[in-house]
Amino acid sequence: MQRGSDQTQLSSQEQMFLSLVEQLSRPMLQINQLAELASDATAEEAEQHWQVVRAITNASLQLVENYALSLRLHGKLTKLELEPLTVSSLLYDTAHALTPFAKQYGVSLELDLSSRLQPVLADRSVLQSAMTSLGQVFILASAESDKAGTVNLAAHRSRYGVVAGMYGKHQQLSTDSLRRAHAMQGKARQPLQRLVSGPAAGVFVAESLLQTLSAHLHVARFHKLTGLAATLPASSQLQLV
Amino acid sequence: MHILLVEPDRISARNYTSALSAAGHTVVTAHTAQDAVHVADEHIPDVVLVELQLPYHNGVEFLYEFRSYTEWLHIPIIILSFVPPSELSEASVLTRELGVVQILHKPVTSLAELCAAVDKATTVRT
Repeated sequence: MQRGSDQTQLSSQEQMFLSLVEQLSRPMLQINQLAELASDATAEEAEQHWQVVRAITNASLQLVENYALSLRLHGKLTKLELEPLTVSSLLYDTAHALTPFAKQYGVSLELDLSSRLQPVLADRSVLQSAMTSLGQVFILASAESDKAGTVNLAAHRSRYGVVAGMYGKHQQLSTDSLRRAHAMQGKARQPLQRLVSGPAAGVFVAESLLQTLSAHLHVARFHKLTGLAATLPASSQLQLV
Repeated sequence: MHILLVEPDRISARNYTSALSAAGHTVVTAHTAQDAVHVADEHIPDVVLVELQLPYHNGVEFLYEFRSYTEWLHIPIIILSFVPPSELSEASVLTRELGVVQILHKPVTSLAELCAAVDKATTVRT
């Protein structure tokens, strides 16, 4: 849905901030709902509610921190700490961080990692933050389909380097979808409607972080799945056996 | 009452279902517009609650499709959405042509207020 015309004069930073604000209104609403339900909850129900609150609060804090990191990097308040790293281990840690959030949405996480991937030169915290932000969006997207399915965290080789990203059965996601999302960010409430119903702030936070690594998100296909990924040049500094 | 809840977010859907069930209603949930039409066909609702921000399809498009079925013309619809009413330029069309009896803004609508709106809607004839 498109907003009223008076909101189309936002700067790119304001657009990002608006996406983030609208994204965070969702978990805040969920917490409000659970607080309202708490008064009539049994002890077992209350414990389940607390698990939900913990998972969605942690995910929201991750998103906020990831956005703050992107601002600090772009504002030169923080420097990158580049190191050769294995994308496989990074995605494994990302899956671990996303698991509580995925569980609450009934979504499974699967790792698809090609063997003997070359290391890439990147800032580990920045890359992991980008993947986590992206993963949250894909979890929400997967949960919105009729049957909550699986999000695949995958890394494979391409001739340009290591392609790492999030994938699912999102057949309607296309190169054009991402291009339009950039144009619609801050102007439309659903800039990536073919992927997810909400503001998809995590996609834009991920992209902002990847830009600091001179990388960018692109629509990618992996086996029969479609997703968003970044291509990272292999590091020539160190070859890990 | 049988309620069709069209809500893409599973956690919010569970919360709304808990509240409405506690108020004595039977709730069936659909996460997409397409699924909502199938579900309505199987369990004809007494009231429809719908979020306008749906994946793949616009919620207003869903409302037009829903109203294209003559057997569902009489069913009251409540919009329960993140879209604030002030941004709905077509609000009068929604109420006049599509039988929307109330537009609720999610962030400021408590579960108790939602239950009250559902109770009120069941006395409305479109």
